[in-house]
Amino acid sequence: MVRAVLAGDVEQFAVLVRRYRDRYARYAAHMLGSADAAEDAVQDALIRAFDQLRQCREPDRFAGWFFLILRNRCFAERRRGSREARPLEEAQQVATSLDGPDGAVERTERRRALQRALLALTPEQREVFVLKHVEGLPYEEIAQRTGATVASLKMRMHRAYDRLRGELEEHR
Amino acid sequence: MTREFHPLVKRLLDGELTLGDLPLELRPEGEEALRLLAALDSTPVTLSPLLDARVMATVRRRAGSPATARESFRAGRAWRWISAPRDVEIRLRVRPWAVGALAAAAVLAALVLGRPSAPPARGAIAAFGPTRPSALVRFVLYAPGAHRVAIAGTFNQWNSDATLLAPAGATGVWTTTVTLAPGQHQYAFVVDGERWVPDPAAPAVDDGFGRRNSVVAIAAPGGRAL
Repeated sequence: MVRAVLAGDVEQFAVLVRRYRDRYARYAAHMLGSADAAEDAVQDALIRAFDQLRQCREPDRFAGWFFLILRNRCFAERRRGSREARPLEEAQQVATSLDGPDGAVERTERRRALQRALLALTPEQREVFVLKHVEGLPYEEIAQRTGATVASLKMRMHRAYDRLRGELEEHR
Repeated sequence: MTREFHPLVKRLLDGELTLGDLPLELRPEGEEALRLLAALDSTPVTLSPLLDARVMATVRRRAGSPATARESFRAGRAWRWISAPRDVEIRLRVRPWAVGALAAAAVLAALVLGRPSAPPARGAIAAFGPTRPSALVRFVLYAPGAHRVAIAGTFNQWNSDATLLAPAGATGVWTTTVTLAPGQHQYAFVVDGERWVPDPAAPAVDDGFGRRNSVVAIAAPGGRAL
């Protein structure tokens, strides 16, 4: 598909869009704090992927390459966000948009509190937490995707655990 | 003050231990930690069905615009970037054998930069082939108090773990030397794995996502670092 687009068949890019648009949406939503922000990020990343498609050295591994583009977009957004003092409503928006049909108030509150706490982590800490505990990836695969070592990922994760505990206690 | 989880509880959260593996006195803390994870929502997020149409509309528009116009715009921008006068600090350490190449590069650069104001022919910058020697570029950051400094850029796929800087004693100065091919490279320093810092001694460009990336240009074999 990538090769077809590179050969000039632009419409084939629609197949890539359909295939990958939702794959990392949950990752982006947790990284950015809202489904709306995730949608913007995925859209930007797809357009950037098209613009830079010639730089995709291994067309058969488009997914991993696209993930890195989206990841950069999420990190840049969060760095900008951390300077602009993120509004709390965003955390609540994610909790709402991710709420299941059970709607138990206490469960919803816990989710919101955790989502708020997640936004207090650094992007690197949040990423490893989301990839492991939301996406269910083992450290080895996270290392493969992000280029970090397993040891440094564990260090980030363990700092994230402590910080989450502190954030949740602070707002209890 | 933040209470830290016990290391064994962290291993429980990592899935390496079960609650039953913990000593009795740690089980309440382990249960608290597991409650934290249980609050996570892993419901899939589905994006708007209109996203496909929006992306494809942009893609078609970009594909429809004459590629040559876009490329010449890029070439023109690159030309302006190279030819515009600016104060720069040249920080380059080369092997002795590269001195000859450096002299040749200086002559070539003088010829190129001395041309009239018309933009160069397409691909003038990329004309330096991959078979030309690479330059050794030394990156320096003053970061007193930092525990770890890395450099991430286009030359290492923005991997913030791939290229670490070494501290020069306790001076707060961190350095590393990277082999770079001719061309333009964007980068940033990553302090303590978390803080992305542009190089204060280098020009910077917008990365398109609101952040500033530093730029180093290797203009010729053995070349010149801007």
